[in-house]
Amino acid sequence: MTDTTPKGTTTERKLLWAWAVLVLITVGSWWLAPAHFTDTMQPSAGVTALLLAMMAVKCRIVMRSFMEVNHAPRWLKVGTDGWLAVLVVTVFAIYLI
Amino acid sequence: MSILSPDRYITRADKSPAGRPDVRLVTWFFPVWYAAFGVIICLLARVTPPPRPDVSAADKVAFMTTHALTIQVGFVVLLILLGGAGMTNALVAYQMSRMSTGPVLAYAYIGGMGVGALPGFLLVSVCFLTATFRPDRDPELIGLLYDLGMLSYNGSLGCFSAAYLVLAIAVLYDKNEIFPKWFAYLSIWQIVTEVIATQMFVFPAGPFAWNGSISFWVAVVVFSVWLGSLIFILRNTAAREPVDTDETFQGPTAG
Amino acid sequence: MTHSDSSLTATARDTDRAAQPSVGRAAHLPGDIHMWVMVLGDLIIFSSYFVIFMIYRSMSPEAYLRAQQHLDINIGVVNTVVLLTSSWFVARSVLSARAGDHTRAIRFVYAAGACGVLFMALKGYEWAAKIGAGYTNSEEFFSFYYVITGVHFLHVVIGLIVLGVVIRDLRNPARRRTSMVEAGAVYWHMVDLLWVVIFTLLYVMR
Repeated sequence: MTDTTPKGTTTERKLLWAWAVLVLITVGSWWLAPAHFTDTMQPSAGVTALLLAMMAVKCRIVMRSFMEVNHAPRWLKVGTDGWLAVLVVTVFAIYLI
Repeated sequence: MSILSPDRYITRADKSPAGRPDVRLVTWFFPVWYAAFGVIICLLARVTPPPRPDVSAADKVAFMTTHALTIQVGFVVLLILLGGAGMTNALVAYQMSRMSTGPVLAYAYIGGMGVGALPGFLLVSVCFLTATFRPDRDPELIGLLYDLGMLSYNGSLGCFSAAYLVLAIAVLYDKNEIFPKWFAYLSIWQIVTEVIATQMFVFPAGPFAWNGSISFWVAVVVFSVWLGSLIFILRNTAAREPVDTDETFQGPTAG
Repeated sequence: MTHSDSSLTATARDTDRAAQPSVGRAAHLPGDIHMWVMVLGDLIIFSSYFVIFMIYRSMSPEAYLRAQQHLDINIGVVNTVVLLTSSWFVARSVLSARAGDHTRAIRFVYAAGACGVLFMALKGYEWAAKIGAGYTNSEEFFSFYYVITGVHFLHVVIGLIVLGVVIRDLRNPARRRTSMVEAGAVYWHMVDLLWVVIFTLLYVMR
Protein backbone atom coordinates (compact mmCIF):
# COMPACT_ATOMS: atom_id res chain seq x y z
CA MET A 1 0.00 0.00 0.00
CA THR A 2 2.98 2.28 0.41
CA ASP A 3 5.10 1.37 -2.57
CA THR A 4 3.88 4.05 -4.91
CA THR A 5 3.59 7.02 -2.56
CA PRO A 6 5.33 10.20 -3.73
CA LYS A 7 8.83 10.71 -2.43
CA GLY A 8 7.95 13.73 -0.31
CA THR A 9 5.55 12.06 2.07
CA THR A 10 5.69 10.33 5.41
CA THR A 11 5.66 6.55 5.07
CA GLU A 12 5.45 3.69 7.51
CA ARG A 13 9.06 2.82 6.77
CA LYS A 14 10.39 6.30 7.49
CA LEU A 15 8.48 6.38 10.75
CA LEU A 16 9.87 3.04 11.82
CA TRP A 17 13.42 4.15 11.09
CA ALA A 18 12.84 7.37 13.01
CA TRP A 19 11.59 5.40 16.01
CA ALA A 20 14.49 2.96 15.84
CA VAL A 21 17.10 5.74 15.80
CA LEU A 22 15.36 7.54 18.65
CA VAL A 23 15.34 4.44 20.84
CA LEU A 24 18.94 3.67 19.97
CA ILE A 25 20.11 7.13 21.01
CA THR A 26 18.07 6.92 24.20
CA VAL A 27 19.61 3.62 25.21
CA GLY A 28 23.00 5.02 24.30
CA SER A 29 22.57 7.95 26.67
CA TRP A 30 21.75 5.46 29.43
CA TRP A 31 25.41 4.58 29.68
CA LEU A 32 26.40 8.18 30.18
CA ALA A 33 23.97 9.04 32.96
CA PRO A 34 25.22 9.84 36.44
CA ALA A 35 22.69 7.59 38.14
CA HIS A 36 24.06 4.63 36.24
CA PHE A 37 27.21 4.76 38.31
CA THR A 38 27.53 4.10 42.01
CA ASP A 39 30.57 6.28 42.68
CA THR A 40 30.16 10.01 42.85
CA MET A 41 30.03 11.25 39.31
CA GLN A 42 32.28 13.97 38.06
CA PRO A 43 30.88 16.69 35.87
CA SER A 44 32.06 16.54 32.34
CA ALA A 45 31.62 19.22 29.72
CA GLY A 46 32.45 16.75 26.98
CA VAL A 47 29.82 14.25 28.07
CA THR A 48 27.27 17.00 28.51
CA ALA A 49 28.02 18.40 25.07
CA LEU A 50 27.58 14.93 23.60
CA LEU A 51 24.32 14.40 25.47
CA LEU A 52 22.97 17.77 24.33
CA ALA A 53 23.90 16.92 20.75
CA MET A 54 22.08 13.61 21.08
CA MET A 55 19.08 15.42 22.52
CA ALA A 56 19.12 17.89 19.62
CA VAL A 57 19.15 15.03 17.12
CA LYS A 58 16.26 13.31 18.88
CA CYS A 59 14.24 16.53 19.07
CA ARG A 60 14.80 17.22 15.41
CA ILE A 61 13.71 13.70 14.42
CA VAL A 62 10.53 14.01 16.50
CA MET A 63 9.76 17.39 14.98
CA ARG A 64 10.72 16.62 11.39
CA SER A 65 9.46 13.05 11.06
CA PHE A 66 6.71 12.59 13.62
CA MET A 67 5.35 16.14 13.60
CA GLU A 68 5.90 16.23 9.82
CA VAL A 69 7.62 19.59 9.95
CA ASN A 70 9.74 18.41 7.01
CA HIS A 71 6.67 18.79 4.81
CA ALA A 72 5.47 21.98 6.45
CA PRO A 73 5.81 25.60 5.35
CA ARG A 74 9.22 27.17 5.66
CA TRP A 75 8.34 29.41 8.59
CA LEU A 76 7.61 26.35 10.71
CA LYS A 77 10.86 24.65 9.76
CA VAL A 78 12.81 27.76 10.61
CA GLY A 79 10.83 28.37 13.79
CA THR A 80 11.25 24.88 15.21
CA ASP A 81 14.93 24.69 14.30
CA GLY A 82 15.39 28.14 15.77
CA TRP A 83 13.74 27.16 19.04
CA LEU A 84 15.91 24.07 19.30
CA ALA A 85 19.12 25.93 18.50
CA VAL A 86 18.44 28.72 20.99
CA LEU A 87 17.52 26.22 23.73
CA VAL A 88 20.58 24.01 23.24
CA VAL A 89 22.99 26.92 22.97
CA THR A 90 21.51 28.69 25.99
CA VAL A 91 21.53 25.55 28.13
CA PHE A 92 25.11 24.73 27.23
CA ALA A 93 26.27 28.32 27.69
CA ILE A 94 24.75 28.48 31.19
CA TYR A 95 26.27 25.09 31.96
CA LEU A 96 29.71 26.34 31.06
CA ILE A 97 29.52 29.53 33.12
CA MET B 1 -8.59 56.29 15.96
CA SER B 2 -9.70 57.65 19.31
CA ILE B 3 -10.60 55.11 21.94
CA LEU B 4 -11.72 57.50 24.63
CA SER B 5 -15.39 56.70 24.34
CA PRO B 6 -17.27 53.45 23.86
CA ASP B 7 -18.74 54.57 20.55
CA ARG B 8 -15.32 55.22 19.11
CA TYR B 9 -13.71 52.15 20.69
CA ILE B 10 -15.75 49.74 18.64
CA THR B 11 -16.38 50.90 15.10
CA ARG B 12 -16.84 49.70 11.61
CA ALA B 13 -14.42 50.77 8.91
CA ASP B 14 -16.39 53.99 8.34
CA LYS B 15 -15.98 54.89 12.04
CA SER B 16 -19.65 54.39 12.86
CA PRO B 17 -20.26 52.50 16.10
CA ALA B 18 -20.58 48.74 15.62
CA GLY B 19 -22.25 46.06 17.67
CA ARG B 20 -24.80 46.42 20.41
CA PRO B 21 -24.61 49.55 22.59
CA ASP B 22 -24.62 47.74 25.93
CA VAL B 23 -21.87 45.39 24.78
CA ARG B 24 -19.93 48.34 23.40
CA LEU B 25 -20.06 50.10 26.73
CA VAL B 26 -18.83 47.17 28.81
CA THR B 27 -16.22 46.17 26.21
CA TRP B 28 -14.77 49.66 26.48
CA PHE B 29 -14.98 49.50 30.28
CA PHE B 30 -13.01 46.23 30.38
CA PRO B 31 -9.55 47.63 29.65
CA VAL B 32 -10.37 50.79 31.62
CA TRP B 33 -11.05 48.73 34.74
CA TYR B 34 -7.99 46.55 34.28
CA ALA B 35 -5.85 49.64 33.78
CA ALA B 36 -7.12 51.06 37.06
CA PHE B 37 -6.57 47.69 38.72
CA GLY B 38 -3.03 47.61 37.34
CA VAL B 39 -2.22 51.09 38.65
CA ILE B 40 -3.55 50.12 42.07
CA ILE B 41 -1.71 46.84 42.48
CA CYS B 42 1.55 47.95 40.89
CA LEU B 43 2.01 51.59 41.77
CA LEU B 44 -0.11 52.16 44.85
CA ALA B 45 -0.45 49.01 46.93
CA ARG B 46 2.84 47.56 45.64
CA VAL B 47 1.72 43.95 45.71
CA THR B 48 2.75 43.39 42.12
CA PRO B 49 5.70 42.77 41.80
CA PRO B 50 5.38 41.26 45.26
CA PRO B 51 7.44 42.21 48.27
CA ARG B 52 9.75 39.46 49.41
CA PRO B 53 8.61 36.52 51.49
CA ASP B 54 12.04 35.87 52.98
CA VAL B 55 12.28 38.92 55.23
CA SER B 56 11.98 39.48 58.96
CA ALA B 57 8.98 40.86 60.82
CA ALA B 58 10.78 44.18 61.17
CA ASP B 59 11.21 44.35 57.38
CA LYS B 60 7.53 43.62 56.87
CA VAL B 61 6.59 46.40 59.29
CA ALA B 62 8.96 48.71 57.42
CA PHE B 63 7.20 47.83 54.14
CA MET B 64 3.82 48.63 55.64
CA THR B 65 5.06 51.88 57.15
CA THR B 66 6.83 53.11 54.03
CA HIS B 67 3.90 52.49 51.75
CA ALA B 68 1.10 53.10 54.24
CA LEU B 69 -0.39 56.06 52.40
CA THR B 70 -0.41 54.51 48.93
CA ILE B 71 -1.61 51.17 50.29
CA GLN B 72 -4.54 52.85 51.97
CA VAL B 73 -5.43 54.98 48.97
CA GLY B 74 -4.98 52.15 46.51
CA PHE B 75 -6.86 49.43 48.33
CA VAL B 76 -9.70 51.68 49.49
CA VAL B 77 -10.24 52.71 45.88
CA LEU B 78 -10.07 49.05 44.89
CA LEU B 79 -12.71 48.14 47.44
CA ILE B 80 -15.00 50.63 45.76
CA LEU B 81 -14.06 49.56 42.25
CA LEU B 82 -14.12 45.82 42.83
CA GLY B 83 -17.66 45.62 41.52
CA GLY B 84 -16.10 46.35 38.16
CA ALA B 85 -14.68 42.84 38.23
CA GLY B 86 -18.22 41.56 38.19
CA MET B 87 -18.88 43.63 35.08
CA THR B 88 -15.77 42.45 33.26
CA ASN B 89 -16.58 38.85 34.07
CA ALA B 90 -20.14 39.39 32.89
CA LEU B 91 -18.86 40.56 29.52
CA VAL B 92 -16.77 37.44 28.97
CA ALA B 93 -19.71 35.32 30.12
CA TYR B 94 -21.98 37.14 27.67
CA GLN B 95 -19.68 36.35 24.78
CA MET B 96 -19.46 32.76 26.02
CA SER B 97 -23.25 32.55 26.02
CA ARG B 98 -23.22 33.49 22.32
CA MET B 99 -21.08 30.44 21.62
CA SER B 100 -22.78 27.32 20.35
CA THR B 101 -21.68 25.50 23.53
CA GLY B 102 -24.48 27.18 25.41
CA PRO B 103 -24.87 29.27 28.55
CA VAL B 104 -23.97 26.75 31.26
CA LEU B 105 -20.25 27.22 30.72
CA ALA B 106 -20.77 30.99 30.89
CA TYR B 107 -22.42 30.61 34.30
CA ALA B 108 -19.57 28.39 35.43
CA TYR B 109 -17.12 31.10 34.37
CA ILE B 110 -18.99 33.70 36.41
CA GLY B 111 -19.08 31.35 39.37
CA GLY B 112 -15.40 30.53 39.22
CA MET B 113 -14.23 34.10 38.77
CA GLY B 114 -16.70 35.43 41.32
CA VAL B 115 -15.54 33.07 44.02
CA GLY B 116 -11.94 33.73 43.03
CA ALA B 117 -12.30 37.44 43.68
CA LEU B 118 -12.49 36.85 47.43
CA PRO B 119 -9.03 35.42 47.86
CA GLY B 120 -7.93 37.03 44.61
CA PHE B 121 -7.85 40.60 45.80
CA LEU B 122 -10.42 41.18 48.50
CA LEU B 123 -8.43 39.38 51.16
CA VAL B 124 -5.14 41.13 50.41
CA SER B 125 -6.92 44.49 50.41
CA VAL B 126 -8.44 43.88 53.84
CA CYS B 127 -5.26 42.37 55.31
CA PHE B 128 -3.05 45.21 54.17
CA LEU B 129 -5.57 47.84 55.20
CA THR B 130 -5.77 46.23 58.63
CA ALA B 131 -1.98 46.22 58.87
CA THR B 132 -1.74 49.90 58.03
CA PHE B 133 -4.72 50.78 60.27
CA ARG B 134 -2.77 50.53 63.54
CA PRO B 135 0.97 50.87 62.74
CA ASP B 136 1.98 50.35 66.38
CA ARG B 137 0.58 46.83 66.54
CA ASP B 138 2.81 43.91 67.48
CA PRO B 139 5.27 43.39 64.55
CA GLU B 140 4.56 39.66 64.48
CA LEU B 141 0.88 40.41 63.87
CA ILE B 142 1.70 42.83 61.09
CA GLY B 143 3.97 40.16 59.64
CA LEU B 144 1.10 37.70 59.80
CA LEU B 145 -1.19 40.08 57.88
CA TYR B 146 1.57 40.57 55.29
CA ASP B 147 1.94 36.82 54.75
CA LEU B 148 -1.79 36.19 54.79
CA GLY B 149 -2.43 38.91 52.24
CA MET B 150 0.33 37.87 49.87
CA LEU B 151 -0.38 34.14 50.05
CA SER B 152 -4.07 34.57 49.34
CA TYR B 153 -3.45 37.12 46.58
CA ASN B 154 -0.98 34.95 44.69
CA GLY B 155 -2.29 31.58 45.69
CA SER B 156 -5.98 31.81 44.88
CA LEU B 157 -5.70 29.17 42.27
CA GLY B 158 -8.53 26.72 41.93
CA CYS B 159 -11.34 29.17 41.30
CA PHE B 160 -9.56 30.81 38.43
CA SER B 161 -8.43 27.45 37.07
CA ALA B 162 -12.04 26.32 36.86
CA ALA B 163 -13.01 29.52 35.06
CA TYR B 164 -10.15 29.15 32.57
CA LEU B 165 -11.06 25.52 31.99
CA VAL B 166 -14.70 26.19 31.09
CA LEU B 167 -13.59 29.11 28.95
CA ALA B 168 -11.17 26.86 27.06
CA ILE B 169 -13.78 24.15 26.57
CA ALA B 170 -16.37 26.66 25.35
CA VAL B 171 -13.98 28.24 22.86
CA LEU B 172 -12.75 24.90 21.51
CA TYR B 173 -16.21 23.51 20.89
CA ASP B 174 -17.83 26.74 19.72
CA LYS B 175 -19.09 26.60 16.16
CA ASN B 176 -19.94 30.28 16.02
CA GLU B 177 -16.28 31.30 16.25
CA ILE B 178 -16.91 34.01 18.80
CA PHE B 179 -13.36 33.75 20.11
CA PRO B 180 -10.40 32.38 18.12
CA LYS B 181 -9.37 28.85 19.01
CA TRP B 182 -5.82 29.75 19.98
CA PHE B 183 -7.25 31.72 22.91
CA ALA B 184 -8.46 28.43 24.39
CA TYR B 185 -4.87 27.23 24.50
CA LEU B 186 -3.76 30.47 26.17
CA SER B 187 -6.37 29.80 28.83
CA ILE B 188 -4.97 26.34 29.35
CA TRP B 189 -1.51 27.85 29.91
CA GLN B 190 -3.12 29.98 32.60
CA ILE B 191 -4.25 26.79 34.32
CA VAL B 192 -0.73 25.39 34.19
CA THR B 193 0.70 28.51 35.85
CA GLU B 194 -1.95 28.26 38.56
CA VAL B 195 -0.98 24.67 39.24
CA ILE B 196 2.68 25.65 39.51
CA ALA B 197 1.73 28.46 41.89
CA THR B 198 0.83 25.81 44.49
CA GLN B 199 4.51 25.69 45.30
CA MET B 200 4.52 29.19 46.78
CA PHE B 201 2.87 27.87 49.91
CA VAL B 202 5.95 25.75 50.53
CA PHE B 203 8.90 27.94 49.63
CA PRO B 204 9.68 31.31 51.24
CA ALA B 205 12.56 31.79 48.81
CA GLY B 206 13.84 30.60 45.46
CA PRO B 207 12.20 30.19 42.05
CA PHE B 208 8.96 28.79 43.48
CA ALA B 209 8.32 31.42 46.13
CA TRP B 210 5.55 33.96 45.60
CA ASN B 211 8.13 36.32 44.06
CA GLY B 212 10.07 33.53 42.32
CA SER B 213 11.08 33.47 38.67
CA ILE B 214 8.92 30.44 37.91
CA SER B 215 5.99 30.93 40.27
CA PHE B 216 5.65 34.64 39.64
CA TRP B 217 7.55 36.11 36.70
CA VAL B 218 6.77 33.48 34.08
CA ALA B 219 3.17 33.47 35.29
CA VAL B 220 2.93 37.26 34.98
CA VAL B 221 4.18 37.13 31.39
CA VAL B 222 1.65 34.44 30.52
CA PHE B 223 -1.12 36.38 32.25
CA SER B 224 -0.21 39.59 30.42
CA VAL B 225 -0.36 37.81 27.08
CA TRP B 226 -3.70 36.26 28.06
CA LEU B 227 -5.24 39.54 29.22
CA GLY B 228 -3.89 41.55 26.30
CA SER B 229 -5.25 39.00 23.85
CA LEU B 230 -8.61 38.96 25.62
CA ILE B 231 -8.99 42.75 25.40
CA PHE B 232 -8.20 42.60 21.70
CA ILE B 233 -10.55 39.65 21.12
CA LEU B 234 -13.45 41.22 23.05
CA ARG B 235 -13.21 44.30 20.90
CA ASN B 236 -13.20 42.32 17.67
CA THR B 237 -16.10 40.09 18.59
CA ALA B 238 -18.20 43.04 19.80
CA ALA B 239 -17.66 44.76 16.46
CA ARG B 240 -18.71 41.64 14.55
CA GLU B 241 -21.90 41.03 16.49
CA PRO B 242 -25.09 41.45 14.44
CA VAL B 243 -27.25 44.13 15.95
CA ASP B 244 -30.84 43.40 16.95
CA THR B 245 -32.51 45.67 14.41
CA ASP B 246 -34.50 45.28 11.24
CA GLU B 247 -31.46 45.67 9.06
CA THR B 248 -28.90 42.91 8.86
CA PHE B 249 -25.38 43.91 9.80
CA GLN B 250 -23.46 43.83 6.56
CA GLY B 251 -20.49 46.07 7.08
CA PRO B 252 -16.90 44.85 7.27
CA THR B 253 -15.44 44.19 10.70
CA ALA B 254 -13.55 47.01 12.37
CA GLY B 255 -10.64 47.19 14.74
CA MET C 1 6.86 11.39 -10.75
CA THR C 2 6.19 8.74 -8.17
CA HIS C 3 8.58 6.03 -7.17
CA SER C 4 8.97 3.83 -4.18
CA ASP C 5 10.79 5.09 -1.17
CA SER C 6 14.45 4.53 -1.92
CA SER C 7 15.80 6.77 0.78
CA LEU C 8 16.85 3.90 3.01
CA THR C 9 20.31 3.83 1.52
CA ALA C 10 20.82 7.20 3.16
CA THR C 11 21.13 7.26 6.93
CA ALA C 12 17.93 7.56 8.87
CA ARG C 13 18.98 11.03 10.00
CA ASP C 14 18.56 12.15 6.41
CA THR C 15 14.78 11.96 6.75
CA ASP C 16 14.88 15.70 6.26
CA ARG C 17 16.94 15.71 3.10
CA ALA C 18 14.99 12.82 1.63
CA ALA C 19 11.71 14.63 2.03
CA GLN C 20 11.83 17.01 -0.90
CA PRO C 21 8.29 17.68 -2.05
CA SER C 22 7.52 15.99 -5.33
CA VAL C 23 6.18 17.91 -8.28
CA GLY C 24 2.92 19.69 -7.60
CA ARG C 25 2.91 18.95 -3.85
CA ALA C 26 2.67 22.10 -1.75
CA ALA C 27 3.91 22.45 1.82
CA HIS C 28 1.27 21.23 4.25
CA LEU C 29 0.76 22.49 7.78
CA PRO C 30 -0.24 19.47 9.86
CA GLY C 31 -3.35 20.12 11.92
CA ASP C 32 -4.21 23.79 12.15
CA ILE C 33 -2.52 27.05 13.03
CA HIS C 34 -4.26 27.21 16.43
CA MET C 35 -2.64 24.00 17.59
CA TRP C 36 0.74 25.27 16.41
CA VAL C 37 0.22 28.47 18.46
CA MET C 38 -0.34 26.15 21.41
CA VAL C 39 2.65 23.95 20.68
CA LEU C 40 5.15 26.71 19.92
CA GLY C 41 3.99 28.78 22.88
CA ASP C 42 4.16 25.77 25.17
CA LEU C 43 7.70 25.01 23.96
CA ILE C 44 8.70 28.59 24.78
CA ILE C 45 7.11 28.52 28.24
CA PHE C 46 8.75 25.20 29.07
CA SER C 47 12.05 26.52 27.74
CA SER C 48 11.84 29.38 30.22
CA TYR C 49 11.50 26.77 32.99
CA PHE C 50 14.46 24.85 31.58
CA VAL C 51 16.64 27.95 31.40
CA ILE C 52 15.71 28.98 34.96
CA PHE C 53 16.55 25.44 36.08
CA MET C 54 19.95 25.67 34.40
CA ILE C 55 20.64 29.03 36.05
CA TYR C 56 19.91 27.68 39.51
CA ARG C 57 21.88 24.54 38.67
CA SER C 58 24.92 26.60 37.75
CA MET C 59 24.79 28.21 41.20
CA SER C 60 25.22 24.87 43.01
CA PRO C 61 26.45 22.32 40.47
CA GLU C 62 27.88 19.81 42.98
CA ALA C 63 24.70 19.67 45.00
CA TYR C 64 22.63 19.19 41.88
CA LEU C 65 24.92 16.46 40.57
CA ARG C 66 24.77 14.60 43.87
CA ALA C 67 20.99 14.89 44.00
CA GLN C 68 20.70 13.84 40.36
CA GLN C 69 22.34 10.51 41.09
CA HIS C 70 19.38 9.52 43.23
CA LEU C 71 17.11 9.51 40.21
CA ASP C 72 16.15 6.14 38.82
CA ILE C 73 17.72 6.17 35.37
CA ASN C 74 16.13 2.86 34.42
CA ILE C 75 12.63 4.21 34.82
CA GLY C 76 13.74 7.35 33.00
CA VAL C 77 14.94 5.39 29.99
CA VAL C 78 11.91 3.10 29.97
CA ASN C 79 9.57 6.10 30.16
CA THR C 80 11.40 7.78 27.30
CA VAL C 81 11.06 4.70 25.13
CA VAL C 82 7.39 4.38 26.13
CA LEU C 83 6.68 7.94 24.98
CA LEU C 84 8.71 7.59 21.79
CA THR C 85 6.71 4.45 20.98
CA SER C 86 3.45 6.24 21.72
CA SER C 87 4.49 8.95 19.26
CA TRP C 88 5.21 6.30 16.66
CA PHE C 89 1.70 4.88 17.19
CA VAL C 90 0.19 8.34 16.82
CA ALA C 91 2.16 9.03 13.65
CA ARG C 92 0.98 5.72 12.23
CA SER C 93 -2.59 6.57 13.08
CA VAL C 94 -2.30 9.80 11.07
CA LEU C 95 -1.13 7.79 8.06
CA SER C 96 -4.02 5.37 8.47
CA ALA C 97 -6.54 8.17 8.81
CA ARG C 98 -5.19 9.78 5.64
CA ALA C 99 -5.52 6.50 3.79
CA GLY C 100 -9.12 6.22 4.96
CA ASP C 101 -8.48 3.22 7.22
CA HIS C 102 -10.24 4.64 10.25
CA THR C 103 -10.50 1.40 12.16
CA ARG C 104 -6.77 0.99 12.12
CA ALA C 105 -6.25 4.64 12.97
CA ILE C 106 -8.44 4.25 16.05
CA ARG C 107 -6.48 1.20 17.16
CA PHE C 108 -3.20 3.05 16.84
CA VAL C 109 -4.56 5.92 18.93
CA TYR C 110 -5.69 3.47 21.62
CA ALA C 111 -2.20 1.99 21.62
CA ALA C 112 -0.69 5.44 22.04
CA GLY C 113 -3.11 6.15 24.87
CA ALA C 114 -2.14 2.91 26.56
CA CYS C 115 1.50 3.99 26.40
CA GLY C 116 0.47 7.30 27.94
CA VAL C 117 -1.24 5.54 30.81
CA LEU C 118 1.81 3.34 31.29
CA PHE C 119 4.00 6.45 31.40
CA MET C 120 1.79 7.95 34.08
CA ALA C 121 1.85 4.77 36.14
CA LEU C 122 5.64 4.58 35.98
CA LYS C 123 5.92 8.26 36.88
CA GLY C 124 3.60 7.83 39.83
CA TYR C 125 5.62 4.88 41.03
CA GLU C 126 8.84 6.86 40.58
CA TRP C 127 7.54 9.80 42.60
CA ALA C 128 6.26 7.54 45.34
CA ALA C 129 9.63 5.82 45.53
CA LYS C 130 11.53 9.10 45.71
CA ILE C 131 9.26 10.59 48.34
CA GLY C 132 9.42 7.38 50.33
CA ALA C 133 13.20 7.50 50.22
CA GLY C 134 13.10 11.03 51.58
CA TYR C 135 13.86 13.04 48.45
CA THR C 136 11.25 15.74 48.71
CA ASN C 137 11.20 19.32 47.50
CA SER C 138 13.29 20.34 50.48
CA GLU C 139 16.23 19.85 48.13
CA GLU C 140 16.38 22.41 45.34
CA PHE C 141 17.10 19.91 42.57
CA PHE C 142 14.16 17.79 43.61
CA SER C 143 11.83 20.78 43.86
CA PHE C 144 12.62 21.46 40.19
CA TYR C 145 12.27 17.76 39.44
CA TYR C 146 8.78 17.52 40.91
CA VAL C 147 7.52 20.78 39.38
CA ILE C 148 8.89 20.14 35.88
CA THR C 149 7.86 16.50 35.71
CA GLY C 150 4.56 17.44 37.38
CA VAL C 151 3.70 20.03 34.76
CA HIS C 152 4.73 17.54 32.10
CA PHE C 153 2.45 14.95 33.72
CA LEU C 154 -0.40 17.45 33.45
CA HIS C 155 0.37 17.77 29.75
CA VAL C 156 0.20 13.98 29.40
CA VAL C 157 -3.23 14.01 31.06
CA ILE C 158 -4.39 16.72 28.66
CA GLY C 159 -2.86 14.67 25.85
CA LEU C 160 -4.95 11.65 26.79
CA ILE C 161 -8.05 13.82 26.67
CA VAL C 162 -6.98 15.07 23.24
CA LEU C 163 -6.47 11.48 22.05
CA GLY C 164 -9.89 10.61 23.39
CA VAL C 165 -11.43 13.40 21.35
CA VAL C 166 -9.54 12.15 18.28
CA ILE C 167 -10.96 8.65 18.77
CA ARG C 168 -14.46 9.99 19.25
CA ASP C 169 -14.20 12.00 16.04
CA LEU C 170 -12.71 9.12 14.07
CA ARG C 171 -15.56 6.84 15.12
CA ASN C 172 -18.20 9.19 13.76
CA PRO C 173 -18.22 9.42 9.95
CA ALA C 174 -19.82 12.86 10.16
CA ARG C 175 -16.99 14.25 12.30
CA ARG C 176 -13.96 12.72 10.64
CA ARG C 177 -11.37 15.21 9.51
CA THR C 178 -7.72 14.46 8.85
CA SER C 179 -6.78 17.89 10.16
CA MET C 180 -8.28 16.99 13.54
CA VAL C 181 -6.23 13.80 13.79
CA GLU C 182 -3.14 15.72 12.70
CA ALA C 183 -3.73 18.44 15.31
CA GLY C 184 -4.12 15.88 18.07
CA ALA C 185 -0.99 14.13 16.83
CA VAL C 186 1.03 17.35 16.86
CA TYR C 187 0.02 17.94 20.48
CA TRP C 188 0.98 14.41 21.48
CA HIS C 189 4.36 14.67 19.75
CA MET C 190 4.98 17.88 21.68
CA VAL C 191 4.46 15.96 24.93
CA ASP C 192 7.05 13.47 23.72
CA LEU C 193 9.40 16.24 22.59
CA LEU C 194 9.28 17.96 25.98
CA TRP C 195 10.06 14.69 27.72
CA VAL C 196 13.15 14.19 25.54
CA VAL C 197 14.48 17.53 26.83
CA ILE C 198 13.44 16.82 30.44
CA PHE C 199 15.13 13.43 30.34
CA THR C 200 18.36 14.98 29.11
CA LEU C 201 18.44 17.89 31.54
CA LEU C 202 17.26 16.12 34.68
CA TYR C 203 18.39 12.51 34.30
CA VAL C 204 21.49 12.27 32.18
CA MET C 205 23.26 15.60 31.80
CA ARG C 206 26.29 16.14 33.99
